[in-house]
Amino acid sequence: MKRCELVYMDAKSSKFWNLELNGSRHSLAYGRIGTDGQKKEKDFDSEEKAEAAFHKLVKEKMAKGYVEAAGSGVESCGHVSNDTNLPLISFSSINHKDEVYDNVKTFVGKRVLDYDPEKASRDTSKLIYRFRSDWDEDVCEEHLKHFIDSDASLEATGIIIGAWHGDDPENSPESVIKLLIDNKERLPKLAAIYLGDITSEENEMSWIYQTDVSPLFEGFPQLQLLRTRGGQDLALSKPDHPNLRALALESGGLPVEVIRSICTSNFPNLEYLEIWLGTDEYGGNSSVQDLQPILAGKLFPKLKYLGLRNCDYVDDIAGVIVNSPIIDRIETLDLSLGTLTDAGAKALLSLPQNGTLKKLNIHHHYVSGSLVKELNQLDIAVDTSNPSEMEDDDEWRFVAVGE
Amino acid sequence: MLKFTPEQARDYIRRGGTESLQVSGKLDLSNEKLDEVPHGLQCYELDLSGTSITTLPNDILVECRLILDNCIHLTSLPEGLSVGSISLRNCNSLSALPENLETWFLDLTDCQRFCNWPKAATIHRGHLVLRNCINLQALPPWLNNLANLDVSGCVMLSELPDNFSISSWIDVGGSNIKGLPENLQKASIHWRGVPVDQRIAFQPWDLSASEALKESNAELRRVIIERMGYLRFSQEAKAKIIDEDTDPGGKRQLLRINLEEDEPLVGLSCFCPSTQRQYFLRVPPAMKSCHQAAAWMAGYDDPNLYKPVIET
Repeated sequence: MKRCELVYMDAKSSKFWNLELNGSRHSLAYGRIGTDGQKKEKDFDSEEKAEAAFHKLVKEKMAKGYVEAAGSGVESCGHVSNDTNLPLISFSSINHKDEVYDNVKTFVGKRVLDYDPEKASRDTSKLIYRFRSDWDEDVCEEHLKHFIDSDASLEATGIIIGAWHGDDPENSPESVIKLLIDNKERLPKLAAIYLGDITSEENEMSWIYQTDVSPLFEGFPQLQLLRTRGGQDLALSKPDHPNLRALALESGGLPVEVIRSICTSNFPNLEYLEIWLGTDEYGGNSSVQDLQPILAGKLFPKLKYLGLRNCDYVDDIAGVIVNSPIIDRIETLDLSLGTLTDAGAKALLSLPQNGTLKKLNIHHHYVSGSLVKELNQLDIAVDTSNPSEMEDDDEWRFVAVGE
Repeated sequence: MLKFTPEQARDYIRRGGTESLQVSGKLDLSNEKLDEVPHGLQCYELDLSGTSITTLPNDILVECRLILDNCIHLTSLPEGLSVGSISLRNCNSLSALPENLETWFLDLTDCQRFCNWPKAATIHRGHLVLRNCINLQALPPWLNNLANLDVSGCVMLSELPDNFSISSWIDVGGSNIKGLPENLQKASIHWRGVPVDQRIAFQPWDLSASEALKESNAELRRVIIERMGYLRFSQEAKAKIIDEDTDPGGKRQLLRINLEEDEPLVGLSCFCPSTQRQYFLRVPPAMKSCHQAAAWMAGYDDPNLYKPVIET
């Protein structure tokens, strides 16, 4: 008998997928984490065929972003374990391009609910509240205050701040950050913050005004994940946190100063680093040279996931990263949402296949069919979904998220 | 050691301070009136472009980026210099790099005097740009894995070492390189920024005018025509004669070839008596006569003013 238990999490869902092989029979169970899900069985003509199909299916699932449940911190059919450490897979959110257009439905593996002060706060250990304003109703901070004053805040492991800006898209989240920090005693279990779950309908990603978010590091020493959206005015003036495990900065253009802060940071426990570099049209003014300290591999001794996403110079990154020490240290390399072409894909063919690296993600790319085929033959899981349709010699290529 | 922000450090150095500094972030001293920097300077990034420095202190420590573009008086760098990336564009007095240099990205574009590599150094993983290093005759034997190598315009360079690898591309446009060694067969080839194949780069005699005219990518078409030579191209492409006259070399013709999605190729075809060769010289497409084209080449916008005593 062979058994494979996988789990998956993104902005929309958290799912499990368990496949068992008994002789020539497959038994599959799959569904939402926390439910029993569905069960299916399939018989093959021979044991050999069943075994080959088993490996093929597992490889396909892994390429889509599923990870092995064992050691992931997720109990495959049960709940996210109540261990204080969040599972590594729960740090990822926007796995695919289309997830950018909606508010998240799950965060760190838990269901997300817009906060409504009229309704009694529910069990906050099982869900996560989102606080946001509409253009005609500036209630983000008011609701957050209401929540902080309730006892539910004492159990909150995560908080999502949605559109904070009300009717002025240039408002920064400075006062929201201050409100959180002033009430840090009321949020003793807060382990994950998403500052900027804002859809393009509310405010385009490249128009969002951020601020210096590093006071959150000082205010919440137990914080494990900080995820932000928006690049304008984003800063990490004091990049120092002994316990931070995951940092994710989504943007249409990331200022090089932020990269400099990351490269001079003190995040000794960082396992997950996701940065959206964007394009120069939206303030992304970095180049592969600026990433050299990250690629050199000395900065984050525990790093397992490196995402250099939504990047218009990803071909350059591909060429350099295959020669870099970091590639022998991480498990996942995520170069998705960018403008990867054959030039970069060719370089990626020389990624190490017998080392720590288990997964490559190039979702949303401009790589030709024949090279995609070659990448899929690598002995690691490769997500090559969402190739962009384009004439051969068309010179215009776009990152997934600009405006 | 004084600990400064970049702004404080710049003021301090402007005022002539010479003590050791530790600077957080990027110290931008570009275009400052400066001929030296303080000993013991430590910073994450340092930009000294356009300054009058001649060298750097031996104990300087720059972590990520060192930018020395247009430092036209720079003649040497300290031994053992180790920085993530170093940019030395247009450092016209620099002829050699220091021993035991270590970097990932090195840009020596337009360093026309540069010709001496150190005996031992480490340039690996990133980009080595040697564009228009017209005095460079060889690459060092210690090169390691690189992502990109740009030797375009290195007219004296004819050979590449056979013991290092390139993960992305090599640009050989206008160099004297005639082919790639075994170890570089997998690298993509560029010709001054345009991706090309082995034939275009190294077997121009195999190219034909019909192939050039069929090519829909205008950049690539330009390279094919450049590699064929305008003369052979104009002959093969059956150019249309716009004008014809005689000069001291004999018959002279203004020829035109229409190109799709690009301006027409118009050129003056003439025989030079002093070199005994036929030339095809490209001129702006609006030229109407041989005389006008010759005048344009001599720098006259008004052809009536161009009255050479003798054309040679």
